[in-house]
Amino acid sequence: MTHPKTPHVVDARYMEPPEPFVATMEMLDTLKEGEKMLLLLFREPHPLYKVLRQNGHDYEVEQVADGTFEILISR
Amino acid sequence: MQAVMAFENAPPFAAPLRFFLTAPLFAVLAGLLIAFEGPDLFASRWTPGALAATHLLTVCFMLQVMLGALIQIMPVFTGANLKRPLAVARIVHVGLSAGALLLASGFYSGIPGLLSSAALVLALTVLLFLAATVLALSGVPSTSPTIRGLKLALLGLAGVVGLGVLMALALAYGWALPLAALADLHAGWGLGGWAGVLLAAMAYVVVPMFQLTPGYPMRASWWFPVAMLGMLLLWSAAVLAEWPWLVRLSQFAAAVAGMAFAGLTLRLQAKRRRARADATYRYWQLGLSASIVALLMLASAALWPDAVGVEGWTLVFGVLLVAGGFLPFIAGMLYKIVPFLAWLHLQECGKAKVPAPAMNKLLPDVNTRRQMLAYAAALLLLLATVPFAGWLARPAGVVFAVANGWLWWNLASAIRRYRQAEIDISRKLAAK
Repeated sequence: MTHPKTPHVVDARYMEPPEPFVATMEMLDTLKEGEKMLLLLFREPHPLYKVLRQNGHDYEVEQVADGTFEILISR
Repeated sequence: MQAVMAFENAPPFAAPLRFFLTAPLFAVLAGLLIAFEGPDLFASRWTPGALAATHLLTVCFMLQVMLGALIQIMPVFTGANLKRPLAVARIVHVGLSAGALLLASGFYSGIPGLLSSAALVLALTVLLFLAATVLALSGVPSTSPTIRGLKLALLGLAGVVGLGVLMALALAYGWALPLAALADLHAGWGLGGWAGVLLAAMAYVVVPMFQLTPGYPMRASWWFPVAMLGMLLLWSAAVLAEWPWLVRLSQFAAAVAGMAFAGLTLRLQAKRRRARADATYRYWQLGLSASIVALLMLASAALWPDAVGVEGWTLVFGVLLVAGGFLPFIAGMLYKIVPFLAWLHLQECGKAKVPAPAMNKLLPDVNTRRQMLAYAAALLLLLATVPFAGWLARPAGVVFAVANGWLWWNLASAIRRYRQAEIDISRKLAAK
């Protein structure tokens, strides 16, 4: 799956915990310097935000009309 | 890594567990009270037994679980960190249990000292909880409808407890207040502004997460809590101004908002990707259906006030909304939260070397489904008791007590298996 914001997308909207977290961390490991990935979820993953901040990743969050949170994470 | 991550954000298991394991016992007590009092309790919503049973369910059961769950999930759902969660949990648990028992016995006995003591203990307990949560949430921006909903629900909690304390003191000291109008408003703040808005704020996260449904549409999820609180403020102003037409208008609008939320949740559940219908899903279906019927009654009574004069109308409405709506939502959530937290803690104990047992090994589906059926039978009996109190009041009370005792047994058994698994994991780790 690709998205206008980035070709690297984890669509975790129908995944059970802890799959979204694991899939995000796995994709982050595959990104090159300067690349971004997008995580799609129906909630804000605050525990993941904390881990991202601890590991020095920037992220931006936008909620769209169907309730999806689009979380754009920088490598 | 997930377990480590979750633990950094979550308070100790003991913090919420005390609430979850005591709450069902109060519902058992409510059932026993109904069985003991029998048909007299159903004479009207104002009988001492009905007032005591109602508050055993709303304060001792609902408020217990809601505050316990909030202490646990606030960091995960909002990113806010509650300071000293275990200490807050201990004090709030003791205060709430003692205050609620004082309140129920005050209503039942009519002793003014019990009512005023209950008001003081509950006011101080809820103030402490509000102070701790407001402090934790200060500086947390409302980036999601869940965070905004939670903040507004705390306003609802302040509203329902403020009105409740005022009325308890008025009853204790004989103050001249319009108690009937205030009691309706108090119920509106409690079930709409606090429990309803909190339920919605939590549902935005847990319904898609646990039942694998689509998400709640953005616009509806942001506006529901605001609309509900707005209607309650309007209702309050109407009571102050003594404008009955505005009271009815705001009740009608609050009922429509509640039905829209329940209808939307049913629609999302119909699109779920999890094929298996577990007890949580069934409990939510029951709760949503009963709430919609109760809110239709509220909307009808707002349009045709004479409906309230129909014998048993208010009692059926109350049983449907509290025992049919909110209690099933809470029981359904307990069946997800307790095994999930136990599993999470066992993952941590295993240190990625010894796997934790699956959640359905900690709390088997068959046990929860049977208990849910017993609860549904108790609910039907309670509803049938309103027209046939002479025959059914005592059996309904007994079945309600048994169903809630079974809920407690299922949760306590899950904790017993969790403790055994904890010992097994420690032994296996030591042997490695």
